[in-house]
Amino acid sequence: MAARHAGIITKKELKALYSEKTIILAILLQLFIAMFSSFLMVGLASMYDPDSVGQLSTIRYPVAYTGEESPLRGYLASRDDLRVYGMDLDQAVAALKERKLGAVIWVPGTAPDADDPIKITLYTIQNDIQTTVINVKLKEVFVDYETYLREIRAPRLDVLPVPLDIPPAETGSNFYEFVYGLLIPLLVFMPAIISSALIIDLITEEYQHDTLETLMSTPVTFTEMIWGKVLACFVLVPVQSAAWLVLLAINGIAIANPVPILLHVSAGSLVLILLGAVTALHYRDRTNAQFIFSTALVVVILFVLALPYNPVNLIVRLSVNAIGAEHWLILAGVVAFTAIASFATDRYARKIGMRIFLY
Amino acid sequence: MRRALSAIWTIARWEIARSVTSMSREILPIAIGLFILLVAVTGFASQSGVHLQDAMYTLGADSADTAAIFAGDERFAVYIADTAVLEGSRGAFDLVITGGTVSAPLTEKGRAALQALQKDYGRYEAWIFNQQDDLFAAYPLWIDTLEVKSELDFIATQSGQPVGAGLYSRRQPVPEGPVLPVAPPSATLDVSREDLRRELIAGTGADTQLSRYSDILSSADSPLGTFRTPSQLSPPLPFDSIILVFVFIFPLYFTSQFYMMSIMNERVERKGEILLSAPVEPYQIIIGKALPYLVIMLAISTILTLANGAPLIILLPLFPVILFFLANALLIAMVSRSFKELSFISIFFSTIATSYLFFPSIFANVHVISLISPLTLIVLQVQGDGFTAMEYIYSTSLFYLTSAVLFYVATVNFTEERLFSLHKLTTRIMEFIGTGISPSRPYASLFAVSLFSIPFVFMAQLMLLVLVFNLPMPLSLVLLLVAAAGIEEAAKSIGVYTLARNMPEFLTWKRTALLSAAVAAGFLVGEKALLFATLAQISDSIFGSVLFTSLQVLWLPLTLHFVGIFTTAAALKTWGPRAYLPGLIAATVLHTLYNLTFILGWI
Repeated sequence: MAARHAGIITKKELKALYSEKTIILAILLQLFIAMFSSFLMVGLASMYDPDSVGQLSTIRYPVAYTGEESPLRGYLASRDDLRVYGMDLDQAVAALKERKLGAVIWVPGTAPDADDPIKITLYTIQNDIQTTVINVKLKEVFVDYETYLREIRAPRLDVLPVPLDIPPAETGSNFYEFVYGLLIPLLVFMPAIISSALIIDLITEEYQHDTLETLMSTPVTFTEMIWGKVLACFVLVPVQSAAWLVLLAINGIAIANPVPILLHVSAGSLVLILLGAVTALHYRDRTNAQFIFSTALVVVILFVLALPYNPVNLIVRLSVNAIGAEHWLILAGVVAFTAIASFATDRYARKIGMRIFLY
Repeated sequence: MRRALSAIWTIARWEIARSVTSMSREILPIAIGLFILLVAVTGFASQSGVHLQDAMYTLGADSADTAAIFAGDERFAVYIADTAVLEGSRGAFDLVITGGTVSAPLTEKGRAALQALQKDYGRYEAWIFNQQDDLFAAYPLWIDTLEVKSELDFIATQSGQPVGAGLYSRRQPVPEGPVLPVAPPSATLDVSREDLRRELIAGTGADTQLSRYSDILSSADSPLGTFRTPSQLSPPLPFDSIILVFVFIFPLYFTSQFYMMSIMNERVERKGEILLSAPVEPYQIIIGKALPYLVIMLAISTILTLANGAPLIILLPLFPVILFFLANALLIAMVSRSFKELSFISIFFSTIATSYLFFPSIFANVHVISLISPLTLIVLQVQGDGFTAMEYIYSTSLFYLTSAVLFYVATVNFTEERLFSLHKLTTRIMEFIGTGISPSRPYASLFAVSLFSIPFVFMAQLMLLVLVFNLPMPLSLVLLLVAAAGIEEAAKSIGVYTLARNMPEFLTWKRTALLSAAVAAGFLVGEKALLFATLAQISDSIFGSVLFTSLQVLWLPLTLHFVGIFTTAAALKTWGPRAYLPGLIAATVLHTLYNLTFILGWI
């Protein structure tokens, strides 16, 4: 096999992608997702934690306390983001409806050490962002009060949990796990999936547009053509994934170990691209090939995710710097697997290439 | 009529026969094999769990008892060591537990790890407390949440004000309106201890790496009604609705791909010429080919709904989504030149459509803005809240309208000339729009083109609203102003641009002015009609007044629309098609200035 011939095909396909401007669509698409998710991050962060948006931090939400006196009132009053008013229930609910209050709490006269539970009624405004915010704050107060009541009633408990002194939660990190544990692996692997769908288009197009014969009359052999196309799809992956890592870094999301991440993505993507190539060679028709390939892709992804130390998990761990040198071993394993898959694809392409002239 | 229906039926039968023969021979054996594999792999995955976030955090503990609490959570790599060792190598861990005290570094990761640990510890505590004989010693506090409707809610929250007047006042708030007596709520729980315990145990179900994102479909009605313990009192995690996208939207998108390929295959090597020369109308071909896929998509939705135990009424909001996917699949198949282009455009479209469906719905329990997505109706229905007819119209009308327009555009362009040309994508889109502009009646057709662009403009703008809705107030409004003006001007000018490219000699100054008037009138009529019908609620808020010119005065927005389009048209007339972008930018600037002046009174 002449590497030069395959290189010519690679260049031709990349040029076609560029001239059709489809690659621009792909890049736009990824930008769109990056933009949308960062918008979402900012928005949700400020919704669940308004203190993270500076100007709101001085706000004290008005809350009415109604019913009987209890230690809860002290807990509420000690918050510097709530302003508590003792009121009548009627008055308070009417004021709540007019949005002059954020919430109304009704407390019964049940004693802290009574046998029965203390049932508090919380009136809030339906369908409202602010209510979400106040609920988060009130929840903290209620949890503190629950702990206090639990201590009073502790002698009545049979087993106590292993005590653990946990420092109070600090705000602003709600999305760490979402970003590193879900978004980054998703975004970094997206180019691999795009490329493996692309190889099907490139191969079936030759069949369905009857351009194969013309191509075969050139010195390029069938196998070289297939490898040229595979290569064209393959080189796009690390380029796009690297662009993602840079984009995320610009968005303030620092990612550790970018080079090993790109190596893992590239190795994994080659497996998917070869799978796409074999499917396309077998079916020669885009509809069928894409259908079978996407089903197979689901099976493969699900299977891989169910394995411990899978490449996607490794990318998560690498991005948060939570893995030692052992990931190189797995990378070596994946590379060995790609070598076998490449060999098999090559044999299959040769076989198909021989058959073409028999028709 | 009868003949038309039978023609559609014939095409539909052909379509089924064609796909069945080509599929059964080639695909069926492997598809069945893959399906069996899929079931096997799903079983394997549910057994071994999804290992995505394994060992993200490292945890060091000095006692086996505490380590055991967190051993079940794969996110933690747990190490047990002596206190002295742990103290010495603190930097190697995200969390260290020594002598029953947790400490974490002050990094983002440390904080995230601490939060994960806190949640785990809460679950562990709950597990211990749920087994107590005296349940009310373990759970001494119960909260009953009652929601009060406030008539002001839409406008107040949308205008970006955090709350009404009470927020900043120092004195105790006094209601202005009538005070109705409110019966004091009962002080006792009317639920038995064992029911509570069962509910508590159910509430702390599995917390796997997936279930954190997938709880929504299994949330059955709680027999306790609104009773919660304090730790259960939290707004639902918004990412839950992402699972709805996976369950309902992706299969629909997937099936629409077959329709797309069926149309595309007619175009490859002019295969469809035979079909076009048959005595059938283009619309009959389009509908006939779409019919099998429509039925399949409805069947898939029904099966998915039943499989998830959801009420069948959620098919109603899914139906316009199905139409929308089919309409877009059709048009994408008609404009793309090659398979590559087809793939990329359709992936691009699916991403945008999915985000339009998904992002609003994450606010389902929080804000009315979420109703612009039909997915929200599904979320509400699954939760047991249901939706009203008004809400249905509100969230689906744009999908119905855009699908109708797209099908119409596809039908008039379903000709030999359009189907088999190999022009560039942008040129082809121009051609498609150009078909709508008749040279003999240019004003009427431009009026119609801008009228029909309204649903798309609204969709784009609502998408924009969702996008900037999250941002802090002045920034969001400014962004919205500029982008909304840009979208409107682009939509208005697209017809004139097409005309300027196809018939540059047509544009005299008089005709340019008349064309602009026609476009402005069409835009205004469409805008008002749709606003009255559906979006009256949103249009009352400040975001609404930026997006959709207000309903009261008519001559002002008409002038605005005229000036905007005339700016672009004049640029096209003077310097030709190359001046389109500068002209568009100038028009956008004018439009933005108008909004700043008349709506916000900033200048």
